Amino acid sequence: MKSLSDTEEKEAAKLRQRRSPSGSRMKKRILRPLAPTTYLLRNLSKTIPLTAVIVLAVTLVSGIIAMIDSIPYSIRTVYRYAKEDIGITPRGDPSLLPGLVKDIKDHSPVPIGRVIVCRATSSIVRSIVGKWPFIMLGLTQEDMRYYTARQHTTSVLGRYPTPGKPEALVSRPVAKNMGLKIGSVVLKPDDIDNYSPFPVKVVGIAETDRWFMMDPIEYQRENYFPPIDDAMIFAKDSAEQDRLDHWAVKRFKGQRPLVFAYFEIEKNTREMFATLYMILNVVIAALALVITFMMGMLMNIYQSQRLVEFGLLQAIGYTKKQLLRRVLMESVGVIFIGWVVGLAFTFGLLRLANVVLMEPKAYALDVFDRQAYAYTIPIPMAILIVAVATVFLRFRKFDPVGVVERRLV
Amino acid sequence: MIRACSASLAYADQGRQVFACSEIDIDVRENEFLGILGPSGSGKSSLLYLLSGLKIPTSGQILYDGSDLSTLSDDARSRLRITQFGFVFQQPYLLGYLTALENVLVSTPNDQDPDSAIEILDRLGLGHKTHRHPHELSGGERQRVCVARALRGSPRVIFADEPTAALDHKNGLAVVQLLNRLRGAGSLVMVTHDPTMLEEADRIVKLADGKLDLA
Repeated sequence: MKSLSDTEEKEAAKLRQRRSPSGSRMKKRILRPLAPTTYLLRNLSKTIPLTAVIVLAVTLVSGIIAMIDSIPYSIRTVYRYAKEDIGITPRGDPSLLPGLVKDIKDHSPVPIGRVIVCRATSSIVRSIVGKWPFIMLGLTQEDMRYYTARQHTTSVLGRYPTPGKPEALVSRPVAKNMGLKIGSVVLKPDDIDNYSPFPVKVVGIAETDRWFMMDPIEYQRENYFPPIDDAMIFAKDSAEQDRLDHWAVKRFKGQRPLVFAYFEIEKNTREMFATLYMILNVVIAALALVITFMMGMLMNIYQSQRLVEFGLLQAIGYTKKQLLRRVLMESVGVIFIGWVVGLAFTFGLLRLANVVLMEPKAYALDVFDRQAYAYTIPIPMAILIVAVATVFLRFRKFDPVGVVERRLV
Repeated sequence: MIRACSASLAYADQGRQVFACSEIDIDVRENEFLGILGPSGSGKSSLLYLLSGLKIPTSGQILYDGSDLSTLSDDARSRLRITQFGFVFQQPYLLGYLTALENVLVSTPNDQDPDSAIEILDRLGLGHKTHRHPHELSGGERQRVCVARALRGSPRVIFADEPTAALDHKNGLAVVQLLNRLRGAGSLVMVTHDPTMLEEADRIVKLADGKLDLA
């Protein structure tokens, strides 16, 4: 038998020599031929677009949810200062306040840590969806120190406002949001959003993640109308504040005083966004459906291109189950990698958006938003179901002879 | 070993029944080279598919060691093909993303040791091209890889369906000779329309219009 030319024989001999004695180098280069990874790694021109579509789908869904979530998250972040106390205002009748405070002190279900009599004037902060109302608290200097400590302030850059002077202390997020530095004017006569009859300068910045602004109560009593004091009541133990809040809201329900409790902010936010989330669910479901069908079609096209492969393998003796299992494993691989990369990509994008766009203005964005990531779970599952169903239907009546006879190529 | 008993294969063509094979009685014996000769459309490929379990006869039986193939499940017939049979088709079908060596390994999913596969490729003159992909091989080389795939695992029967159809006469003859010489103790059933390809056959049966030509 003459099977090799002389040149080929020499080349083969050289190869055999290189391979010997162990042949281990050769073995190392061989992947399992029909392992799902072999197909995926050696067909990157197909694998990458499929993965990329899933990555983009996951990024799209989780990105939209994270951005929408940033609105209620911003509300909770901006007004979180209210978590430390319950605010109460006598709603136009200053004579009521002492009685209200006494009532709370006498009947509170938890020990009271401090009662601060204060003034408040309105101001405006910016959010991702526009202007939001905020308050400038008017406090005595002693109360300012208690309040900042209660708001987890680690240090104060600059100093506390001098009693009676048009000076303010703002927290770090407020300073970022409003672009304030020591010496900046935070309230002024010609600013309708942040009005004060005299320019109020920032003299201190509190280092904390809480949002608050404060100026001397004497200044507010001197310059603002109506001349009504409010009260802030702090539970002795922060952990019991929520209990005090619920009790106070219940106690003054239907009465003249107006009570500001943090849990009501959260409740109102949830209610406010319930409809939006309902609409969003429908939009995301439609989006997932479109993506799934698109991916199903794409996978169908790719599987059609492999008819010869499936026909050949089935003809030489691979069972339909084995081939189906292989396609399933390949699909799971692509989909899982696409999903994980999509999550990682979203995380990176959100971090970038946070650092570049949100953080400089102290806009709140939760890059670890679990809800946003959880919303993406139906995408890989739906794509997998469609992909497997498509392949299953194709295999059900598949005749390998049609392929090896070149009737189906 | 394999026996066709009055085996027929019919299919519907625009409402009428057409017989690809009709009432075929034939044996495939141990260690023989059986040539099936016939012109195009004579039903020789259909007979090969019947004998190898790729198709089930519409009437009659195909017995393998006494067992009727039509009574086996689709999966069982697949397992039979991969463990007992080797195949070489008209076209040198290879998986484009696998190397020659990996294409050979495909036929033995439970034996992925490359050494014996390399040895077969060596014997077929492809020892220096084990890591080439199909697009880097000539038509003859591709068909030789297919032969190596069919030979791997020392199958009991190798079915070759016009393995020389896509090759020139010289290369075609070389492929047939290689198949015959390397089949060891296995049988070789080869279908062709070219009698010169069956010079080494132990036995030749002729087929015409789906029937054995007993003349």
